[in-house]
Amino acid sequence: MTLVSVVFDLALVVATMLATATLVIVGPRQIAAAIRDARWRLEVCLLPLAVLALVLFIRWSTVDVVIRLERRVLGNNITPQLFELEQLLFPQNPVTVLQTFASPALTEFFVFVYIYGYAFLLLFPFIAYFALSNMDDLSTLILAFTANYAIGLSFYILFIAYGPRNFDPLLFEPLLYDVFPQSRSLTNQVNQNTNVFPSLHTSLSMTVFFLAWLTREKYPLWVPVSGVLAISVVVSTMYLGIHWFSDVVAGTVLALISVYIGRNYTVRGINRSIRSYLDSRFGDRGSAGQQ
Amino acid sequence: MKRVAPSVTRRSLLAGASGVGLSALAGCSERFWSRAENTSPEQVELTIKTVPADDDAIAAMIMSQLRENLQAAGIDATHEPITEAELYRDVLIDGDYDVFVVKHPGIDEYDALHGLLHSQFVAERGWQNPFHFSDVGVDELLERQRTTDGDAREESLTELFDYLLETAPFTTVAYPDRIGGAQDHLSLSRPPRQAIEFVDILSQEFDDGPFDRPLEIGVYGEALTDRLNPLVVDRNRIQGLLGLLYDPLAHRSTTDTHEPGEPAAYEPWLAEQIDWDDDGGLTATVTLREGLRWHDDERLDADDVDFTFRFIEDTSLGDVDGTVPAPRYRDRQTLLEDTNRIEVIDDRTLELPFGSTARPAAVRALSVPILPEHIWEPRSEVIAERQTRALVADNDEPVGSGLFEFGETSMDELVLEPFEDHVLRSTTVPNRPNVLENFPQFEGIRYQIEPNVGAMLDSLADGAVDVTANAVPPDEVATITGASGVSTTTTSTTSFYMVGYNIHHPELGNPNVRQILSQLIDREYVVSEFFNGFAEEPARSNELFGSRGQTQLDGTESTMPLSVFPGSDGEIDPERVRQLFVEVGYQYDDGALLK
Repeated sequence: MTLVSVVFDLALVVATMLATATLVIVGPRQIAAAIRDARWRLEVCLLPLAVLALVLFIRWSTVDVVIRLERRVLGNNITPQLFELEQLLFPQNPVTVLQTFASPALTEFFVFVYIYGYAFLLLFPFIAYFALSNMDDLSTLILAFTANYAIGLSFYILFIAYGPRNFDPLLFEPLLYDVFPQSRSLTNQVNQNTNVFPSLHTSLSMTVFFLAWLTREKYPLWVPVSGVLAISVVVSTMYLGIHWFSDVVAGTVLALISVYIGRNYTVRGINRSIRSYLDSRFGDRGSAGQQ
Repeated sequence: MKRVAPSVTRRSLLAGASGVGLSALAGCSERFWSRAENTSPEQVELTIKTVPADDDAIAAMIMSQLRENLQAAGIDATHEPITEAELYRDVLIDGDYDVFVVKHPGIDEYDALHGLLHSQFVAERGWQNPFHFSDVGVDELLERQRTTDGDAREESLTELFDYLLETAPFTTVAYPDRIGGAQDHLSLSRPPRQAIEFVDILSQEFDDGPFDRPLEIGVYGEALTDRLNPLVVDRNRIQGLLGLLYDPLAHRSTTDTHEPGEPAAYEPWLAEQIDWDDDGGLTATVTLREGLRWHDDERLDADDVDFTFRFIEDTSLGDVDGTVPAPRYRDRQTLLEDTNRIEVIDDRTLELPFGSTARPAAVRALSVPILPEHIWEPRSEVIAERQTRALVADNDEPVGSGLFEFGETSMDELVLEPFEDHVLRSTTVPNRPNVLENFPQFEGIRYQIEPNVGAMLDSLADGAVDVTANAVPPDEVATITGASGVSTTTTSTTSFYMVGYNIHHPELGNPNVRQILSQLIDREYVVSEFFNGFAEEPARSNELFGSRGQTQLDGTESTMPLSVFPGSDGEIDPERVRQLFVEVGYQYDDGALLK
């Protein structure tokens, strides 16, 4: 199975999940109406979407430079500190505790959640908020995602951290790649194994859940669905030996910060304040020059 | 008002109080000064570096056992996982480590220890003495084995290993079996790793061959198409790849079984003939084959060979004070007495002066990959302090002289095209190596790069690859045997898991400490539990230091005390280990080993 077939498989499963959820949670009439006047909706979200795309593009285009910067120039390996911190705080590492419950069925469930459930969780809010009567929630979502990536990725440059499975295969089981080795070709496209602090799986999932709570009046059913999924994704990252408990905590904090940014700022607003700041600086200098 | 027994006057009270206070302060200040003047002893700290489990699960497991045992012995041990390339840079270039665990690709001949341990290399980078070890006794024995042959060499080697048991600059944990999978119809005898072993596969007569397609080789890992520079420490990790691109003067024969006092058997490669002369210092007269060409169609001549040895000695070619030696092959270059005295007689002939070096060691110089002068000479440019372009170049489009030239590469494949102009492709070339008898049965080589072992073995089962060329962990053997049409091949090898110590660390400078640390791995347990038996414990003194000769060396039976594990089932008995440390003069406080 190559990357192409893994991606095809993923697309098929996630598309089915999205279609089902759209029909049940959003409703056929509402989504049909939203598609009919898609144009203004897209226009409203164009700017935040462009910023998100820009952040992802920067990430994608600078991978080589970032790896060199992270590993050779900065080289802050915090893996031992994460391990020792958790040894200090807990009688037994939370990952070990979770893995004592390991069973083939549970592993299959968590692998499914980690890959398919996560993709669904991230994509569905786009559809749901797109179908609302105004685009405030969608803009919030996009800005919160952007904040997640921008902050998370800067942490990845600053810190090298390996997950439990890479740190010590005797203490922690590498369950994901044992069960589904090909998934690595997918995760390799997105990330390196030195980037586990904070957990972006956690932060993005929790962001979706927090936003679901804030929009509970519009989509009451989405709150429990996203809640169960998000918590499962969070648990799966530890159960599968990919993330430390600390990564998950940091991911949750990052989610809170991102949601705060998403709710209280807009791309237009940030843009305007940067401009007015620059203008005032420029104006100052201009007047200084005249004197 | 009646005064009732003014037994304690204010004055006496004050006097008494100040007296008590002063004497109390005196005790206090004594303690204070003593604290301030003498730093209290602290716990011994060690950081162990090794690769993450993604790169090598076994190394991570060995490290785990070592960490637990060091902690149980009262040492503050931390463990830092780090990618292979960065580990090599930290250990081999920057010397930034305390202890490292790594899989060494294997020592070809006893003389390789000269590079690993001789004090002449303490300041050099690369696999030349990465431990910063210096011991005049070891130096002398390393030189003696280099300059003698026969029984005299065997005796020096035996003495060397005896001596190393006491000084333990590094230690060997186990020799893993090479495990691989291959399509049944290829009926391979051993999993290939080295260039000559791939050539050997391409020369086998197959029932359904020859094939008009490339040999499909399965490999796995991150960034496998990078760093095609044969001289750098973090060079490309596909084993054998650079050896297929860059030919040496001669390849060590796949069937070689030589005595420790005799030279190994070599198959002439770029050289058509090598004549040895021992009159007044050893010299080798090398006659190159006729019509040799580089992959860019330039002529390969004796000047390129001369250049290669001079370049390895000093990649700046004299541009800096002192030299900037290459971090690889440097030790083999020192087998030559003086690179400036290499005599190029004509285009095809040159004389290599070995001076006092005897043949068993000298033949190792023949396996150095020959580099094209017209490409590498410009790379002698000095670009930073003690850094030449040759030591940082990625060498994206390698120009070698091998049977295969670099084709194309992408995320998931790397293709080597047949180099049709190679003289050894002609069956009529004089003195053609035996290994090439039926060469070639495939058209080129294609590496299929997978993200991890599981994906590589899936490709093998699907028939997408003919043979695997990366380590298969022992617990994956069942995956191969479970698939139809493919089979497992295993062979014992000379590669070994090594624990190295940085002698610059205050505690690791003490040979007694290194000796005890070398005992803290349960080698028997590692072989049975981590390798599922697919490995061998070092059983003789030479084997404890990575040297597994083709034939046995006399007098190396004793492995005491390094092979004695003070505990059982991988776990140390803390009392026994504490006793060992106390015996060599260390002290414990509340279970912590003090500096």
